[in-house]
Amino acid sequence: MLSVKGLKAKVGEKEILKGLDLEIGRGEVHAIMGPNGSGKSTLAHVLSGRDGYTVTGGSATFDGQDLLALTPEERAHLGLFLAFQYPVELPGVNNTYFLKAALNAIRTARGQPELDAVAFMRLMKERLKVLHLDDSLLKRPVNFGFSGGEKKRNEIFQMALLEPKLAILDETDSGLDIDALRIVADGVNALRNPERSVILVTHYQRLLDYIQPDYVHVLAQGQIIRSGGKSLALELEEKGYGWLGIEEAA
Amino acid sequence: MSPAPGFEQWLAPAPASAGGRLDWLQTQRAAARLSVAAQGVPGTKQEAWRYTSLSRLLEQGFVPAVEPVTLRPEALEPRLIPELDAYRVVLVNGRFVPGLSALEGLPPGVRVGSLAELLATDPDALKDRLNAVAGPDQSLFTALNTAGLDDGLVAIMGPGVCLPRPIELIHLSVGAAAPLLAQPRHLVVLETGAQAHLIERYVGLTDGLYCTNSVLEVMLGADAVLEHQRVQLESPKAFHLAALYVRLGAASNYRCINIAVGAAWARTDLRVRFTGEDAVCDLQGLYLVGERQLLDIHLDVDHQVPRCRSREYFKGILYGKGRAVFDGRVHVARDAQQTDAAMTNRNLVLCEGAEIDTKPQLEIEADDVKCSHGTTVGELDPEQLFYLRSRGIGAPLARRMLCLGFAAEVLDALGPEALRMHVAEEVGHRLEQAT
Ligand SMILES: Nc1ncnc2c1ncn2[C@@H]1O[C@H](COP(=O)(O)OP(=O)(O)OP(=O)(O)O)[C@@H](O)[C@H]1O
Ligand SMILES: [Mg+2]
Repeated sequence: MLSVKGLKAKVGEKEILKGLDLEIGRGEVHAIMGPNGSGKSTLAHVLSGRDGYTVTGGSATFDGQDLLALTPEERAHLGLFLAFQYPVELPGVNNTYFLKAALNAIRTARGQPELDAVAFMRLMKERLKVLHLDDSLLKRPVNFGFSGGEKKRNEIFQMALLEPKLAILDETDSGLDIDALRIVADGVNALRNPERSVILVTHYQRLLDYIQPDYVHVLAQGQIIRSGGKSLALELEEKGYGWLGIEEAA
Repeated sequence: MSPAPGFEQWLAPAPASAGGRLDWLQTQRAAARLSVAAQGVPGTKQEAWRYTSLSRLLEQGFVPAVEPVTLRPEALEPRLIPELDAYRVVLVNGRFVPGLSALEGLPPGVRVGSLAELLATDPDALKDRLNAVAGPDQSLFTALNTAGLDDGLVAIMGPGVCLPRPIELIHLSVGAAAPLLAQPRHLVVLETGAQAHLIERYVGLTDGLYCTNSVLEVMLGADAVLEHQRVQLESPKAFHLAALYVRLGAASNYRCINIAVGAAWARTDLRVRFTGEDAVCDLQGLYLVGERQLLDIHLDVDHQVPRCRSREYFKGILYGKGRAVFDGRVHVARDAQQTDAAMTNRNLVLCEGAEIDTKPQLEIEADDVKCSHGTTVGELDPEQLFYLRSRGIGAPLARRMLCLGFAAEVLDALGPEALRMHVAEEVGHRLEQAT
């Protein structure tokens, strides 16, 4: 589904991704771990098309399409979703209006009819319940004044609504309390199916207890330097990153 | 003395202007004519006209609209807000049109209607009020308006009267062969403890070229409350001048929301003077200025007495080659202790060709006051834009959503809901061109 080969990317003059390879198959859950500053968010941003990065080499294809040639919205239309490490506040932009605009933009791009107000509200209510979110959040501006945990849950709520084919969750577990972590994990698990893949960027083994990954990768200094099964995460938890021959922090 | 070159046409007296036999009114008109002549045509060197030249306005050759226009009620329909339940006063090219207005059910103690009619039937109700707030030393366009003073809205609320519905003034401009000038003159008086809501809407029937030079005088007695919303949606070729003079009595409350979206060239002068203690004035504004548009906003808020509070909060969105000037002045006189004033001007500039000159000024002579001012000029936030696009929302819609989000603070303060929706929709349409 996603195939990243030798990806190199710079911010300004600084090379951050230095030839990164990653293959994600349909229905698979991959965890990416790695020290602070190693390039995990950069990878997520480059894949979702954020400005400010220069790709200097390699490729990324999604369902056979050259991902890097597409606008961010086109990538979303294909089924890519990024849950932000730091969700952005949008003062004055009503959450419900935003969600409806997003869902209908994606539906339109896929040749599906737009949802009317009633059908949309019904869908939203249903997904809210899964994430134990208070519907007062819908009447507020997007992420504006939300607590850290509410922002993260709002990301997963959007994911549940937009039903992407590949979701990249960038440290969605950071800053969540124990109950919220469980709720978010349930939300992700509810969405798991043989057609849908997930990349979990995380620092903590704990999330992986709730969402069992098929593969675990270590990203360090701009490359995937080690891949393995679930046990690799346990090993990292125990030993840190030092034994892999890399420094603890960049 | 001969009139200033360029404004001769504006001063051509209407054949049968209202109150022609009233000496006091003729004296005011004559004084205004002299004032126009004395002022000449201000150049860009004069402070109040520092940024904009009048030549573009004068080149158009506007002539006063004298012929009454007959319009079928259906013609007005596209400009109505169907859900808006209000006492409606319709002026066409500056003149009251009873057949289009709806003034049934006004409570006792209230007069709402045509200035010309009241000048004919009960001029004494106006004698000490017309020009009382604007004062004798009038700026050029106010003097022009006074010289041609003829018709407009008059609303007088007796003591303690509380108007159950808003007054909606629709000023409609209808084109003719020659570009027309309308100079509506409005007067709103709220006596002690009266409460009212005034909605002014300026629209064109077509996309034609015309000029509106309006003057509004507002007099609030002690404890009076006026909610005022002014929506300028003139045709894209129009010239629009608005001078608002507000005098606030003790513990009165004036809340004004100024929406400026239309016209090629628009200027608003808002002058507020506190004359009684403990009064509150809340001015908000939203302006959209795009391709081939020029907008000037001048605020002059004068705290003359202690313990009053004023807020000036204006937001602007600029795009295309749009150009705007925000010139805000808050003056706190020596005796106006414990004044609380805060002025803010925030601007969103969508492209390089657009420009804003913002100049907030505080002039404080008292020593025990709380005053602040702040200005921002920024672009759309790329992080926010990316967030929206990453959710599948196309770039143009994403930009529009962020602009509307920026405007929401002011738009959401509009009421009733029907008006808020109407204005939000119009702003949304305009932003389609901008994004
Ligand atoms: N806009 C930028 N300008 C300069 N340096 C940047 C920029 N964005 C990222 N970097 C640098 O790139 C490196 C990788 O950052 P990135 O955010 O991808 O790390 P990360 O692996 O997600 O870290 P963390 O675990 O702390 O979230 C860091 O050294 C960071 O400082
Ligand atoms: Mg990161």
